[in-house]
Amino acid sequence: MSGVREELRDALADERRIPRPPEPAAMVIFGASGDLTARKLVPALYDLAAARRLPMGFAVVGVSRTKMSHEQFRQRLRGSLERHRAGGFSEEVWESFSRSIFYLPGDSRRPETYGELRGLLERLDAGRGTGGNRIFYLASSPSLFSPTVERLGEAGMSREGGGSYVRLVVEKPFGRDLESARRLNADLLRHFREDQIYRIDHYLGKETVQNILALRFANGIFEPVWNQHYVDHVQITVAEDIGIEGRGAFYEEAGALRDIVQNHMMQLLCLTAMEPPVAFDAEPVRDEKVKVLSAVRPIPEERVEEVAVRGQYGSGWIWGEEVRAYREEEGVAPDSATETYAALKLYVDNWRWAGVPFYVRTGKRLPKKVTEIAIRFKPTPHTPFARAAGAEPNVLVIRIQPEEGVSLKIGAKIPGSGFEVGSVNMDLLYGTAFLEEVPEAYQRLLLDLMLGDATLFIRADEAEAAWSILDPVLRAWSGAEDVPVYPAGSWGPAEADDLLRRDGRGWRRP
Amino acid sequence: MIGELRRAGGGGRMSVEEVERELARLRMGEDGRLGLRASVLNLIAVTGEETAPRVAEAVSRLAGEHPSRTVLLISDPAGADRVDVRLSAFCTPRGGGTQVCAEQITIHAEGAPARHLESIAGPLLIPDLPVFLFYTGSFSASSPEFSRIARLADRLIVDSSSWDGCGSAFGAVAEVLSRPDLPPAGDLQWATLTPWRTLIAEMFASPERAGELSGIEEVEIRHAPDGECRALLLAGWLASSLGWRLEAASGSPPARELRFSGPPGGVRLRMEPAAPGARLARVTLRSPGCEFRVSRSLDRPEARATVSRGGRVVGESTAHVGRFDMSAMLAEELRCRGRDAAYERALGAAVEVLGA
Repeated sequence: MSGVREELRDALADERRIPRPPEPAAMVIFGASGDLTARKLVPALYDLAAARRLPMGFAVVGVSRTKMSHEQFRQRLRGSLERHRAGGFSEEVWESFSRSIFYLPGDSRRPETYGELRGLLERLDAGRGTGGNRIFYLASSPSLFSPTVERLGEAGMSREGGGSYVRLVVEKPFGRDLESARRLNADLLRHFREDQIYRIDHYLGKETVQNILALRFANGIFEPVWNQHYVDHVQITVAEDIGIEGRGAFYEEAGALRDIVQNHMMQLLCLTAMEPPVAFDAEPVRDEKVKVLSAVRPIPEERVEEVAVRGQYGSGWIWGEEVRAYREEEGVAPDSATETYAALKLYVDNWRWAGVPFYVRTGKRLPKKVTEIAIRFKPTPHTPFARAAGAEPNVLVIRIQPEEGVSLKIGAKIPGSGFEVGSVNMDLLYGTAFLEEVPEAYQRLLLDLMLGDATLFIRADEAEAAWSILDPVLRAWSGAEDVPVYPAGSWGPAEADDLLRRDGRGWRRP
Repeated sequence: MIGELRRAGGGGRMSVEEVERELARLRMGEDGRLGLRASVLNLIAVTGEETAPRVAEAVSRLAGEHPSRTVLLISDPAGADRVDVRLSAFCTPRGGGTQVCAEQITIHAEGAPARHLESIAGPLLIPDLPVFLFYTGSFSASSPEFSRIARLADRLIVDSSSWDGCGSAFGAVAEVLSRPDLPPAGDLQWATLTPWRTLIAEMFASPERAGELSGIEEVEIRHAPDGECRALLLAGWLASSLGWRLEAASGSPPARELRFSGPPGGVRLRMEPAAPGARLARVTLRSPGCEFRVSRSLDRPEARATVSRGGRVVGESTAHVGRFDMSAMLAEELRCRGRDAAYERALGAAVEVLGA
């Protein structure tokens, strides 16, 4: 009989215009009084509800130490939702969605909290049809990740049974170095299987980042030239014009290497350098990414200076406005050596990329906000044109933000007599071809999470492999007291230019 | 409408080369920079004089969502021979000083040229991009004029609500679908049902509710006054998806009462327009223990789905169902490429109802 039921149910949903709905579930957010819940998670869930993508049997349970009633929690979220979510706000959708929001005041380190949580979840299963499925979302301070998981495990709440699932979501940072990442993974894996764990780096939820894979693997023309035979080098830039935006205390502990390079930049490196996965599924994609990270040439601690540059912004001018130096920011030590800029030269030692340097850089208070991957091809072996000085090697730029698109620099004849060649850019802005509303990264990732698709989440070995690459740099930089200063509004310290100049190359101006 | 509307002066009869040259000129900004042309498809819209303003408005609003080259053909076969070409571009500023333009070519074809619209539209299509034909009025699938222009397209889109009766519209589309030389087809009225169908499917998505599907014994469809074709397609979708077979039809259209066999005891399906002035459309499915309802106040963009057991609401959700103007429905249909099996099955079932 159950086969017939499923067949009937599937018959209604079995067509391309009706998306597969996730199974009913309750999502428990630890650290629910924090910024992430109000700014990102609940708006994303609200958008999913409005777009008919949430199951009818769904509930959100916020857990944190702040004393609040269900209604106070809802009102707080509503206020934030109206301020932060993209697009309009519908009273009707909110009214219906808010009835699925609940709150449990409690300390996530205390076992009693979990007894109360279990009771609430069982009542929701009965009253709201959440079906026994559980998602535990760690949106709290990283120091609470391990204790929370420990308590969940002790309470038996990590165990699946009766056809229900239990999933655990961990927000970055996944540790602050290799050792702490390993420790965290070990703590998580003591109570959850790896396939229950979803490590979230919202960067992967961005359509623009996923488009790198589409460009590479949905277009046959790039693959034959995507290797050391044709590529001279690759430059990956994640530049921000903003400073630390009042997050001094956080940034002092993090720095550019931990905040951006370990996660976002390593992901961009992986997507650029990886082999085609056999399928766009969790394991094939993540296997290929781990292979890239494993192939990155280790950086000996004593040679960090040769391949890595850091910097810290001083005062300067950006877009006609004078901005203060990092050390003058709130919450920053006057003698801070924290890097706000990092550049590295990496090699991916495999058949495809042998000898091709990957220059990666990120920084705050650079001239503009831009994220791009530039593939610079080798020059033609010989030019038959006497006046081809204006022609430069081809560069394929994958722009991720702000204007997503692809730009190819090609040589073209300059009109007129003779045969003078110059470089022109051929631009395609993806956004101009598909003007459909782009879902927020969290919207996409939360839906994938509920559907059990881990493709865009980080696996334990992936996080550890990224830390392995950077650990020697972190160690080398941790002891240094001086950091090169670059003026805000410039493209970084002079040492970063030297890094490429030594190789006879230069950074492109994005 | 997104961006700036630019119109070329003049008009009259132009060569294809003149059209292309003038369109390129329209893309040029005041600073002399050529705007990018963004195209993901070609859209040919065929309409008559009367509906032309409404269709022109709808296709121009599409420029923001489906950048395309649109060839709007306003056809009057009864007039004296004449071809008049007007050009416009919708340009949207983008970052870095660039702009993106979608192009619209509006052609009044009268007399003999109106009977050979394919000869006008064909040379204007951008190569290597799919071609959609939006045919706004009624047609005969067997007419040579219609067949010629339909063969240019990869997909035909009709609006069954604009015909004199759903029966003739459904019949003509069914004939198109049966002809291998003609493209697959879609209907704007079907496009509007997507959110309704999603909400209905979602109500039965959980395992404990899926069982109720085999016990459905009564369905009520209360539709908007202009929604008869939609209601028939929705009934056709339910019947074809759930394997119900039509046994009898009664009532005086647009109110209908249908009896289906399939589940034990059969299914009684009633459809009727809402009373004049009523602001609610709804679909209700009942099994012995449960009632499943999707309803929408006609002045609101949201629909509410509820599941009730013994008179008590045990599940609910509210979601946006979108806009239902011609432009929005067309945008939804333009997302669909190739054959739409669910639509074709629903259409087949609706044709059977109308023939019963």
